[in-house]
Amino acid sequence: MNVRRIRYARLQMRMLGRRKGFVFAVNAVRELAGWRGWQNPLIQLAVLAVALPVMWMVVTIKLTAWQQLALVVLSFGSALFFRMLPGRYVTQVLIVLSAVASTRYLYWRLTETISFDTWLSGLFGSLLFIAEAYAWIVLVFGYFQTAWPLERKPVPMDPDVSKWPSIDVLIPTYNEPLKVVRTTVLAAMAMDWPRDRLRIYICDDGKREEFRQFAEEAGVGYLTRSTKKHAKAGNLNAALTKIMGEYVAIFDCDHIPTRTFLQVTMGWFGKDAKLAMVQTPHHFFSPDPFEKNLGTFKKVPNEGELFYGLVQDGNDLWNATFFCGSCAVIKRSALDDVGGVATETVTEDAHTALKLHRKGYSTAFLAIPQAAGFATESLGSHVGQRIRWARGMAQIFRVDNPFLGKGLTFAQRMCYANAMLHFFYGLPRLIFLTAPLAFLLLGSEVIQATALSIALYALPHLLHANLTNSRMQGEFRHSFWAEVYESVLAWYILRPTMVAFINPKFGKFNVTAKGGLNETLFFDWGIAKPYIILMGLSLLGFAAGVFRLVWQEAPDVDTILLNLIWTAYNLMMLGASIAVANEARQVRQSPRVQMKMDAALRLPNGRSYACSTSDYSDGGVGLAMSAPIEIATGTWVKLALTRGMEEYEFDAKVTMNRGTNLGLQFGPMSIQQSIDFVQCTFARADSWVVWGDKRKPDKPWQSFKEVAWMGLSGFKVMVALLIGSWRERKERFQAQFNLTNVRAALDERQARLRAFAASQREGGKSAS
Amino acid sequence: MGKTTLSACLALGLAQGRDVLAVDLDPQNALRLHLGVAASEIDGACRATLEERNWQTAVYKGGNGRPSVLPYGNINETDRDALEVHLSGNPNWLVNGLRSLGLGPKGVVVIDTPPGPSLYQQQALRAATFTLVVVHADAASYATIASMETILERYCNARPGFGGSAYLLNNVSSASALSRDVVRVVRSELGDRVIPVVVHQDESVKEAMAFDQPVLSYAPHGEATRDIKQVVRWFDQNLPAMHRIADARGA
Repeated sequence: MNVRRIRYARLQMRMLGRRKGFVFAVNAVRELAGWRGWQNPLIQLAVLAVALPVMWMVVTIKLTAWQQLALVVLSFGSALFFRMLPGRYVTQVLIVLSAVASTRYLYWRLTETISFDTWLSGLFGSLLFIAEAYAWIVLVFGYFQTAWPLERKPVPMDPDVSKWPSIDVLIPTYNEPLKVVRTTVLAAMAMDWPRDRLRIYICDDGKREEFRQFAEEAGVGYLTRSTKKHAKAGNLNAALTKIMGEYVAIFDCDHIPTRTFLQVTMGWFGKDAKLAMVQTPHHFFSPDPFEKNLGTFKKVPNEGELFYGLVQDGNDLWNATFFCGSCAVIKRSALDDVGGVATETVTEDAHTALKLHRKGYSTAFLAIPQAAGFATESLGSHVGQRIRWARGMAQIFRVDNPFLGKGLTFAQRMCYANAMLHFFYGLPRLIFLTAPLAFLLLGSEVIQATALSIALYALPHLLHANLTNSRMQGEFRHSFWAEVYESVLAWYILRPTMVAFINPKFGKFNVTAKGGLNETLFFDWGIAKPYIILMGLSLLGFAAGVFRLVWQEAPDVDTILLNLIWTAYNLMMLGASIAVANEARQVRQSPRVQMKMDAALRLPNGRSYACSTSDYSDGGVGLAMSAPIEIATGTWVKLALTRGMEEYEFDAKVTMNRGTNLGLQFGPMSIQQSIDFVQCTFARADSWVVWGDKRKPDKPWQSFKEVAWMGLSGFKVMVALLIGSWRERKERFQAQFNLTNVRAALDERQARLRAFAASQREGGKSAS
Repeated sequence: MGKTTLSACLALGLAQGRDVLAVDLDPQNALRLHLGVAASEIDGACRATLEERNWQTAVYKGGNGRPSVLPYGNINETDRDALEVHLSGNPNWLVNGLRSLGLGPKGVVVIDTPPGPSLYQQQALRAATFTLVVVHADAASYATIASMETILERYCNARPGFGGSAYLLNNVSSASALSRDVVRVVRSELGDRVIPVVVHQDESVKEAMAFDQPVLSYAPHGEATRDIKQVVRWFDQNLPAMHRIADARGA
């Protein structure tokens, strides 16, 4: 937002010097946009009655190439102009321009470019058209969904604390280590809420004695059940039968809440009687596999940020915020009203929200991170998690389709449908990745049009969409990154979504493994295989295209070039996908959270140093001293951390002293000390709020270069691996070869020995 | 750290960017030693008063980030008796003395007094725009807060030109449960009249004294140094408000 304002201010200044008329025009547009008459329903209807037919005409009218070019220049030129202005109304203008350009493209594709001359081009052509139609639906639904993010603010709690309701905090766990769950429980215990109205429960489906003991020691509830049916949903439902608070807060066992979570989220329940659920973002303090393997942590918004930064906030306007399974509060009576947590699908969270909405309850989203957790640790587990989401959303689409059934508003149906359709990107993405190969390798024209007209229709569609999305999503997703994320996951979510779509009951449930450790740098061949094959095919196609360009007689230069460019773009995405599969090494098991806060280091000799933390984990901290200090590793010291006005001291051992960096490892802590530590670190109210501040805003061209660079690095990885595996194979072969030689030599010696022995025996016999 | 050390540190800290005069009203006459005045220099406000000189002649000029110093002055027991008789007869001795120095409108005077109620304290309270009460984070010091409040009530709160008072917790040690409790209790009783920064116990303060250096330069990375700097920052932020209140009450 800020960048836009600055850009606008700069523009205004530049223009003021030259043309006063420009500024006048800008102000006139703003005045017009601010006119009160727009609120009048009659005027709205009248405008629609004029605008819709005009839009339809723009979409369907047949134009010559020159006329189409003029239309493109006009429409994209005005988009470029409007882009410079700040404000949401301007965004709506860009949305309309983009939607019209894309619809016109699709209409043109449908009416003029599909041919069934040969069965091959008919097949590929329709497949590509289906993929494009899908992309169009997701684009337009997405515009609708995120046109006007609500940006809801928290409502302060009733000053009379005696009126605050009772809350049960459920922390479901199945196979995660106690180390992970422990921090979450301690943080939950430290949430600011009247003690007599806050109960915390560990819902352990693993039935582990260690957990029971910890619960007893910490003074929190411990719940188990006899079956493991319906996984997390079943676990939560079993817990619901044993608790009776007015509200239920749910945290995945690795989502550590801040102390303010309840006070920030609960206020809205007092204001909106129909409110059934408040959701907050899932924030991750460790890098996900994309961020880790591509080195983009804290620089480029990660895959999840678009959803929590924009989509949920957009949903909120339409009263369609989804429940995301964790970091949320639900009103118990509403939850009971829909029969507890939904168990029909593997994404019980979204389905529960859908049921709540069908019953007329409302939900809310607060875009303030109030909890944080571990991101998935390896690409394998990341993909596994996304497969589950994709499968679950496809299941809901089948068993409880948002377009059908009672109780939903039109907007809610749109939002749910888009959320579900979004997960069907597997097939379309793979079609986009292979479409140019149909021409380059098989010589089949998938779009029956000249390259020039394809450019004249497709380019404005792509440019408008990129421009508009960069403006709407830039803060939460940089340009071209959606393609990277989707490319990696496309192959893997294709099958589960299709299977679930055909038979929603089929398919297993997989729990996301967390807290693992990649001990060595390794390349995930299993994940990368489809992309390596696609890359091989694309390279082949590229070579074939170049070959035809150079050696074929009278080649169709335009079409070949178009497909070559398309393939080059695909190769870039495939390269980036392969780069992601190159797993970076992780050194520590406890992820370190990078956070600077004041601390004091107290030495046994009574001296005390002012310093700040550079990072922390549940086992230790890294300190940044303002000057090197002399202290031997292994020395026990005291570390003072503060939370608000309170100060806490912890015993710790120096494990590293290098320059101004000091590493400390904590000694054994009591439960109270552990709570204090979690309070000073993970559970701080301000922990995650300022997270993305240092990030650069989206600049499409810059972002393109970044992604291209990632693509190149994927190629480098590929080449290095091929050379490496060739060398390895050669060595193995040589070793085998040597071994056979040795064995042959051995055999020869033995044979000689045997012959000798035999001859001796023979000799003996003959001698006797 | 001791109260005199704290006063010296504050004067030094405040002197970065403004004119500061550090005035010592403690017969121990130790403030000057923290601020670079040689032990052999024996002049001070009390000697000047007894000799009926202008105070100007007893000020050790600072500048360049160092405060000017007006020491108590070395005097013998008899002279001190005489001085104290003079003080009890002239409640505005300090006010007039300071006025005679002709300080600029932006100058800050830091006055250090002996611990506990005394004639010097009364003089200082009558002159002060702002009173900083330094409380050690221990039970004995906590017990004196009530009497300090009475004294403030009597000499300061209603007086024209008084801008307010605040408490500063000193020698806090989070290793000691008692010290932590005192901090909590004082905060809950006095609320925002307690400066949000505390000064921690730090061995480097004693070491600095042994090396005859202000702690700010002896242990620039020490915790006490950071604490002092934060207290100074608090003053930087709050001085304008104090002046506004003082002006509103009229001088």
